Amino acid sequence: MRAIRKHERRALLGDRLQVLLLGLFALICLSASLRGAQYREALEEAAAAFEAEHLERAADWRERVVAVESGDVAPEDDVFAGLAMDVARPAVAAPGPLADFSRGVTDVHPFTARVALWRSVDRLFGNYQFQSPNEIRAGKLDLAFAVLFVMPLLMIALTFGALSRDRDSGRLGLLLSHPVSVRAMVRSKLLVRLGAVFAILVAALLAGLFIGAGGVPDGGRLGRFAFWCLAASGYFAFWAGAIYWFVSLNRKSETTAMLMIGFWVLNGLVGPAVLAAAAQLVHPAPSQLAFLSTARQVSNEAYRSRADVMQGMLLDHPELTVENYTIPEYIRVSYLVNETVDRAVEPVLEEFEAVQDRRRSFLGLVQYAAPAALAMRSMGEISGTDLARQVRFEGEVRDYKRAIARHVEARVLAGERLTVAEVDAVPTYTFRESGLGAVGRSVVFPVGYLFGLGLLGAALARRNLARLQTRFREA
Amino acid sequence: MIRAIARKELVQYWRDGRVVTVFGIVALLGLAATVTGWSAVSAMERERASAVAMDREIWDTQGLKNPHTAAHFSRYAFQPTFNLAVFDPGLNDYVGNAIWLEAHYRDPAALRPVEDAVEIQRIAQLNPAWVIQVFGPLLIFILLYGAVAAERESGTLRQLLAAGMRPVSLLLGKAVSAFSLTGLLVFGVLLGSAFLMSAEGIERLPDTGLRTAALAALYLVYLAIFVFLALGVSALSSRSRTALAGLMGIWIVATILGPRIGPDVAGALAPAPSAPEFAARLDREGADPFWGAGEEAVQRRQRVMDAALAEYGVETVEELPINYDGYLLQASEEFANGVFDTMYAELWGGYERQHAIARGFALVSPTIAAQNVSMALAGTGLHAYRHFADQAEEFRREFVLLLNQEMIDHGGADGYAYVSGNDFWRQNPDFEYAAPGIGEAVRGVWADVIILLLWLAIAIAVAALGVRRGFLGEVAA
Repeated sequence: MRAIRKHERRALLGDRLQVLLLGLFALICLSASLRGAQYREALEEAAAAFEAEHLERAADWRERVVAVESGDVAPEDDVFAGLAMDVARPAVAAPGPLADFSRGVTDVHPFTARVALWRSVDRLFGNYQFQSPNEIRAGKLDLAFAVLFVMPLLMIALTFGALSRDRDSGRLGLLLSHPVSVRAMVRSKLLVRLGAVFAILVAALLAGLFIGAGGVPDGGRLGRFAFWCLAASGYFAFWAGAIYWFVSLNRKSETTAMLMIGFWVLNGLVGPAVLAAAAQLVHPAPSQLAFLSTARQVSNEAYRSRADVMQGMLLDHPELTVENYTIPEYIRVSYLVNETVDRAVEPVLEEFEAVQDRRRSFLGLVQYAAPAALAMRSMGEISGTDLARQVRFEGEVRDYKRAIARHVEARVLAGERLTVAEVDAVPTYTFRESGLGAVGRSVVFPVGYLFGLGLLGAALARRNLARLQTRFREA
Repeated sequence: MIRAIARKELVQYWRDGRVVTVFGIVALLGLAATVTGWSAVSAMERERASAVAMDREIWDTQGLKNPHTAAHFSRYAFQPTFNLAVFDPGLNDYVGNAIWLEAHYRDPAALRPVEDAVEIQRIAQLNPAWVIQVFGPLLIFILLYGAVAAERESGTLRQLLAAGMRPVSLLLGKAVSAFSLTGLLVFGVLLGSAFLMSAEGIERLPDTGLRTAALAALYLVYLAIFVFLALGVSALSSRSRTALAGLMGIWIVATILGPRIGPDVAGALAPAPSAPEFAARLDREGADPFWGAGEEAVQRRQRVMDAALAEYGVETVEELPINYDGYLLQASEEFANGVFDTMYAELWGGYERQHAIARGFALVSPTIAAQNVSMALAGTGLHAYRHFADQAEEFRREFVLLLNQEMIDHGGADGYAYVSGNDFWRQNPDFEYAAPGIGEAVRGVWADVIILLLWLAIAIAVAALGVRRGFLGEVAA
C-alpha cells in the first residue's frame, strides 16, 4: 500500500494540470482570506466611526445641559438644551467574530442605528441601502464559498478517474490479478489526492484565522474557528464519502465525472435554489409595501387627530399638564404620533420576525436534503453573519428605543428639560454575540449529519468495491 | 447530409437515458422558475397597485397641514415590476421598491426584497434566465463532449471520413442537433414567460415584443458560443474523457466562478462608499452648510435674504409680499439638490466603475456579458434602476417646489402656522414612471454585445481549428 501511495504522490506531483488546480484552490482561498479580512476591517471601521460620531454628538449635547444646569448659560438662552425628545444614542452590532470567513447577510442589512425618538420604528435604521446592487447580487468570494463550491469541484477533478481510468485503459483486470485489494488501492489513491486538498484547506483556514485577526486571534475567535473548522471538515468528509461511492460504481471516466458534476449541481445549485423558493412559498413574508402603507396611514391619522391624541394623553397623565409650556407643541405631537405609529406597526414587525422564525424552522428540517445549504447555514451561524442574528439585532434596537422612550417620556410630555443625572442615566445598548455553547448546540447535529453522510458513502463504497473484487476473482 | 446527421444525433440523444434525464431536469427547472417568477411579479404588482392607491388616499386626506410639514411627510415613488422580470428579475431583488420623496433629502430606494429572503437564496435564485445561463451550457457540453472525440475513440470517425463525409458537415450536423435541443429549451422558457407575463395586472415594458425577440436572439448567440466551443474542444481532444474534463472546466469558470469573482474583484478595485458613511455625508453636506451655525451657513442664508429683498425691491423681510420662510426653505432645497447631484454622481460613478471592471471578466466568462444584456433587455439592470431613481428624484424636486411655493405664495405672515387643506392636496400630481424604450435600455450594454460576438467568433475559430487539426489529422492517419 505504501508503494501505491508513493506512486500516487509522484503521479499527482508530476501532473501539471492537477498541481495547477491545487495551486489555484490555494490562491482562491488566500484571496478569499485577504478580501474577507479587508471586508471585516471595513465593517469594524464603519461601526466604530458611526458609534464614535454619535457618542461625540451625545457628549456635546450633554455639555449644553451641564452649562444650563451649572448656570453658565441662562435657560432662556438655550431653550432646547436637554430637550428630552432630542435624546439620541447609537446602537451598533459589530461584525460577527468570523465575518471574514463567511459574510452571510451582512452586506444587505443595517448594522448601525441612530436610536432617536424623532424616528418611528419603521425608520429606525435610516438610509443604508447604498451598496452596489451588482455586487450584492453576485455574492462574495469568501472562504465559505471556496469551501462549499470550489473545494468539491477540485476534489472531483482530482479523483473522478481514480478507478475508471484503469478500467477504461483495461489495466484494472491486470492490477487485480496481483495480490492487491481494490479497496486498498482506491483508498490509497483517494487518500493522497483528497489529502492534498484537505491539507490546503487546513492551511487556508489557519491563514484566514490569522489574517482576519491581524495577528494573534482572541479566545472568542478561536472558539468559533474550531467550530468552523469542524463544519468545513464535515463538508469535506461528506464530499469525500460521496466521491468514494461514485468511484466505487466503477463506471467509465466520463460517466463518473458526469455523475459527480451532476451531484455537485444538485447539491450546490438546484437544492439551495429549490429550498429557498420552497421556504418563501410555504412561509411568505408579509408585504413590505403594505407595512409601509400601514405606518404612513397610522402616522397620518395620528397627526390629523393630534388634538384627541393629546387629550387622551393628558387624561391618562393629568400630572403632565403644564401651564407654562415653553417648548413648541409640535414636539409633544411628534412624540405621540411616533408612539402611535410604533404601537400600530408592532404586530406587523412581530409577524415579520415570526415568518423568519418559521422559515428557519422549515429550513432546519429540509436543509438535510441539500448539504451545501446545511453547511452554509451552519457556517453563517458560527461566523455570526446569519439572518437570525440580524433579526435579533433589529428587534433589540426597537426594544432599546422603547427603553429610552420610557426613560424620558414624562419629560417630553411635560415639556421639561432633562437633568444631567437623567442624561447620564439614559440606557445604553450593547450587542451581545451568542455564546459559544449555544452556537455549538445549534450546529452539532447538522455537522454530525455531514460526517454521517460521509461515513455512509464510504461504507457503501467499501461494499461496492468488495463486490467488484469478488467479481474479478470469480472471473 | 447535415440534416441526416442531426436527425441521427437527435435519435441517439433520445435513446440515451442520461441526456433525457438531464434535459428533463433542466426543462422542469425552467418551468418551475417561470411559474415562480410569474408568481413573484404578480404579487409585487398587486402590492404596488395597492400601495400606490393607499399613498394617494393618505395624501389627499391628511387634513389641515403646513405645506412644508406635508413635504416632510411627502409621498413615495413605487417602482413597477415590469412583465419581463418574470423571465429575468436581474437586480430587482437587490434594489429597493420604494423611494421616499421627502423634503431636504434624496433617499435611496428602500424595501429591498433580498432583506426578507432566506440566506441560502444568495447561493442561487431560481429564475428562467438563470436556468438558461447556467444549465444551457451544461446541457450542451453533456450533449457534445463526445461529438468528435467519442467518434475518434470508437474508430467511426475514420470510417466516416473515408466514406467521403465532409468534416464541416459532420460538425454542423452535430451542432444543429445540440442547438435545436437547447434552443427548444430557450424558446420553451421564453414562450412560457411571455404567456404568463401577459397576464392581467402586470405592467408592460415599452417595446416588449422587440425586447423578447432580442432576448431570444441573445440566448441563441449565447448557446451557439458553447455549442462551437464544445465541438472545437471535442475535436481537439484525443479522448472524450479529456474533452469532458476541459468542457467542465470551461463551464465552471464561465457560469459559476466568473460571475462571482468578477464583481468581487471589481468591488476590491473600486470600492463603493460604506453605507453608513455615505448616509452620514449626505445628511451633513446637504444640510449643515445651509442650516448650520457656522460662518459659511450664516453668510449663505444672508445672501438668500439679500437676493429676496433685491428681487422684490424692499428693505426688510416684513415688507416682502411673499412668505420668506418658504422662500428660504426652497433656497435650501436648491442648495441641497446640487450636493445630492454631486454625491449621487459619485455613487453611480462608483457602481459604473465596478460594472466596467466586472465586465472585463466577460472576456473569460461570456455569462457575465449575457447577464448584463439580458438584464438590460428585461428592464431589470443597473441602468433601469438608475432611470427610475433619477425620474423619482426629478419628481421629488418638482413636488417639494410645489409645496414650498404654496407656502411662499399664500403663507404671508403666518409662515409655519399657515396650513393648506385637502382641496389643495387633491390637486397635487402623482408620480408617473415612464420606463425607457429598448434603444435607451441597451445603450449601456453595447460593449457586452460586442464581447458576446467576439466570443462567438472565438468559439467558431476553435471549432474551425478542431476541424483542421482534429479531422485533418485523422485523414492524414
